[in-house]
Amino acid sequence: MQSALDHTLTALADPTRRAILQRLSSGEARVTDLAEPFAMSLNAVSKHIRMLERARLVQRRRMGREHFLSFNPKPLDEAAAWIETQRALWTARLDTLEALLQAEDRAAATARRKGGSRRKR
Amino acid sequence: MADPAAVTARVTRRFTASAERVFDAWLDPAKAGKFLFATATGQMVRVEIDARVGGMFTFVDRRDGEDVPHTGKYIEIDRPRRLVFSLAVEKYSQDIDRVAIDIVPLDSGCELTLTHEMRPDWSEHRDRIQAGWGEILEGLAITLG
Repeated sequence: MQSALDHTLTALADPTRRAILQRLSSGEARVTDLAEPFAMSLNAVSKHIRMLERARLVQRRRMGREHFLSFNPKPLDEAAAWIETQRALWTARLDTLEALLQAEDRAAATARRKGGSRRKR
Repeated sequence: MADPAAVTARVTRRFTASAERVFDAWLDPAKAGKFLFATATGQMVRVEIDARVGGMFTFVDRRDGEDVPHTGKYIEIDRPRRLVFSLAVEKYSQDIDRVAIDIVPLDSGCELTLTHEMRPDWSEHRDRIQAGWGEILEGLAITLG
């Protein structure tokens, strides 16, 4: 079974679709505007857009005969949330590790002072 | 380097301790049990580390009376520069992730970069994605403000 995140990743797994998304992330565009920079037929671009719509990464708005497309970042939230959670967890773990090693150094320094065999620097 | 194709979380941190000491802490049950999958309110009740390539590890943290095992297998052990292991926390997810740790010695201390890759068995996606999807995500987030 494909999860929503799988659909998102499948849609993103193509350079043309990523380029379309990047274009739409700076504002709404018509299908014809989107096709322009790509060396491919309107039909081929439309296919890519349909895949992006299925993944809910692109929304369509009709005004008369014109179709306007826009970027919807919502499906990316799941991945973004995972990344943020993991980053926070690992940051805390690494902080604990640094504290652990520093405590070890302090304990060793104290032991040396108590032993009196070495002068304090 | 980590494959940029998957969903990855990356963290970089400097340590005052040497690369060797930082590396060894990951495979020393006494130390790893204190920082690795421990939580402030939980209690680490079991740590097993078979520190060889193909060897398994288990960390069981008791959280609110519930045991949460973290298990995985060591994939690469290259002291003190690189450690790679798989990671599963079945209590929370069916996924098997991959964690890579790269340590660069500095004049004083070292710098560690950790890369946590979500479900790297998605070779289907990995082969087709050329640019980093993490970068795409960041790029879009920046553009969207």
